[in-house]
Amino acid sequence: MYLTTFGIVLVFFIVGALFVAVGLFTAALVRPKNPTPEKLRTYESGEIPMGSPWIQFNNRFYIIGLAYIIFDVELVLLFPWSVVYKTLGWYSFIAMVIFLMILIIGLVYDWAKGYLEWDKPNPVIPQLNELIIHRKKVNKEN
Amino acid sequence: MNNIPLEYYIALSGILFTIGTLGVILRRNAIIVFMSLEIMLNSVNLAFISFARYLGDTSGEIFVFFVMAVAAAESAIGLAIILALFRKKQTIYVDEVNVLKH
Amino acid sequence: MTITQSYLNNLMASVGYFAPEIAIVVTFIVAILFDLMFKKSKNIAAYISIIGLIITGFILSGNIGISKSLFDGLIVVDPYSTFFKFLFLITTILIMVMSLSYKELYDNNRKVGEYYSMLVGITFGMFLLASAVNLITIYLSIEILSLSSYVLAGYTKEIRRASEASLKYVIYGSLSSGIMVYGMSLLYGATMTLDVAKINVAILSGHVELFPIIIGGLMILVGFGYKMSAVPFHYWTPDVYEGAPITITSYLSVASKAAGFAVFIRFFKDLYLLPATSDINIWNTISNFHWQTIVAVLSVLTMTVGNFVALWQENVKRLLAYSSIAHAGYILMAVVVMTNVGITSILLYFVFYMIMNLGAFFVAQLFANKIGSDDLKDYIGLGYRSPVLAVLMTVFLISLTGLPPTAGFIGKFYIFTAVLDKGFVWLAVIGVLNSVVSLFYYAKIFRNMFLRSVADDTKNNFKFSAPAFPLSIAYVLAFATILFGLYFSPILNWAENSVTMFK
Repeated sequence: MYLTTFGIVLVFFIVGALFVAVGLFTAALVRPKNPTPEKLRTYESGEIPMGSPWIQFNNRFYIIGLAYIIFDVELVLLFPWSVVYKTLGWYSFIAMVIFLMILIIGLVYDWAKGYLEWDKPNPVIPQLNELIIHRKKVNKEN
Repeated sequence: MNNIPLEYYIALSGILFTIGTLGVILRRNAIIVFMSLEIMLNSVNLAFISFARYLGDTSGEIFVFFVMAVAAAESAIGLAIILALFRKKQTIYVDEVNVLKH
Repeated sequence: MTITQSYLNNLMASVGYFAPEIAIVVTFIVAILFDLMFKKSKNIAAYISIIGLIITGFILSGNIGISKSLFDGLIVVDPYSTFFKFLFLITTILIMVMSLSYKELYDNNRKVGEYYSMLVGITFGMFLLASAVNLITIYLSIEILSLSSYVLAGYTKEIRRASEASLKYVIYGSLSSGIMVYGMSLLYGATMTLDVAKINVAILSGHVELFPIIIGGLMILVGFGYKMSAVPFHYWTPDVYEGAPITITSYLSVASKAAGFAVFIRFFKDLYLLPATSDINIWNTISNFHWQTIVAVLSVLTMTVGNFVALWQENVKRLLAYSSIAHAGYILMAVVVMTNVGITSILLYFVFYMIMNLGAFFVAQLFANKIGSDDLKDYIGLGYRSPVLAVLMTVFLISLTGLPPTAGFIGKFYIFTAVLDKGFVWLAVIGVLNSVVSLFYYAKIFRNMFLRSVADDTKNNFKFSAPAFPLSIAYVLAFATILFGLYFSPILNWAENSVTMFK
């Protein structure tokens, strides 16, 4: 019956859930409860966490991600091609070369437009004047 | 062991499709709207694959490849548009985008 | 081996008939590459695109009169698709030429290379759509068309309403195409084939489940209705039309709509009509399910909502958007009939609709170039400030209303004839009443231009006209509008010859 097919999966889920629940429950019974602020803090490789974790990433991550998605997923069309490649011979080879050429033109476009560059911010060397102004500002604020 | 019957797959794909459609209509966050669109398209993929498997006909599977490729292009364009809008007006909530009157 | 060989020969033979589409793709790629290489000259992509599309037109003229199934039944070349392809080509070329003089597009020193290449991309999608007879090609070509339009709708991304229009367009568009492709999966599951003609055969054989076919058909109707902007799938239209650059608005209202109708007619004609009959009583291959009624209701809803909402619009772009919804309703009336006479009248109407609608939008664009606004209240007194443009606008508005002696009258006349021919008197009456309603809002533009006194502030009182080149295009369109109202038999013959393969 179909039930047995799904039954095994169901039993697996139930056993898995029980395993986790029993483990957590016994641990909660046995362990000593002694929370300190240090223990409750988010673990960041031993560093003390700074600021909010809800910061925005640079837009460039998205742009590179978008370009990646396109080229990654278009490759899915290579799979059916690879199945019939041998039977159809040169015709399929040329067809796929044309397809990849068009994709490469897309990549060239991205490249030429500079969307693949990760522009590094120019390091700003602090000048003496600015330092003085900055110091004044800080003093005023204080 | 027997095979799982076709109806189960179709029911699952119907449920996924409904979840996706409701998500597109009801959610306000544009990113989640696009995730719901992906769920819709994946439910279509599931339906096609299971029909193709059940009927023993490969053309449905070929359709799935195209749906996947198109889904990627669609979400890429959608995200790019969200990005352009976000730069203009710091929000991704669809209902806060309302310069054009209804 | 022989099967493979004959299959290959079939594919090879198809490539020759596919030449117009290949020419478009080559144009697209060359335009992009040249735009990358010659950064100095701004309009190089535009010129390459226009030249490429003209060459495509010459290649396409080789396909006139040919009826052939290509690539193992994925697409067909037939007079019907060739007619629409010429329509798309002419529209695209006109839009490109109009865009050259569009101020908002060239503001902020914007790069316009992608704009023109994307237009070429849309044309490719529409070419495929006009000749698609397989669910895969229908889906793919609709997506090519949609994806390029999403980008173009938001092309002027510094302007917030453009990004917003684009976002709405992409969300609604993806939703309806998702629904459509789910419907396709149901059709496939019920009939085990993706070929539209074979699905028809499977339905006729009577050995299929009817429920998924009906539901699937309705879901596919959502996708097509979205492209045609038929009520109740029109909700994106006003926002996108108002937000997008005006050239793109006019393009979507003509070409994209025509593409939607092209695939809609072919799909339902091939799928739900008995082959080898044009008898109206056999619209439905499925008994007890009345597609005809559904399309008739859609038509009435579309024109009524379009016309009545247009009455309250204060923005010319938005007003023309609702008017284009109403025109989709008129055209749907002829789809209800679905006879050869009906389809001929649709083709005829689209030629005239292209000319007059592009003309109206183009004059609105020339106004916007000068006065920087699309609001109806800013049109007050334009009849005195720019008499030439205002008169041209009036010609297009008369034609859109459907009054003689203009092309719009002839188009409507043929549609009503086709509808009355099959005894749909109630539908024709609703259509005529709607035309009367449309007179009111078209007259509103006219009244603002000519009959209202100029506001007192003198700073907005300068006289103006358009540069010679755009003005001459507007003249040509207006001339064509009147000419086709008086002499139209070549186009009628062409349209009649284009539907002969629908038996």
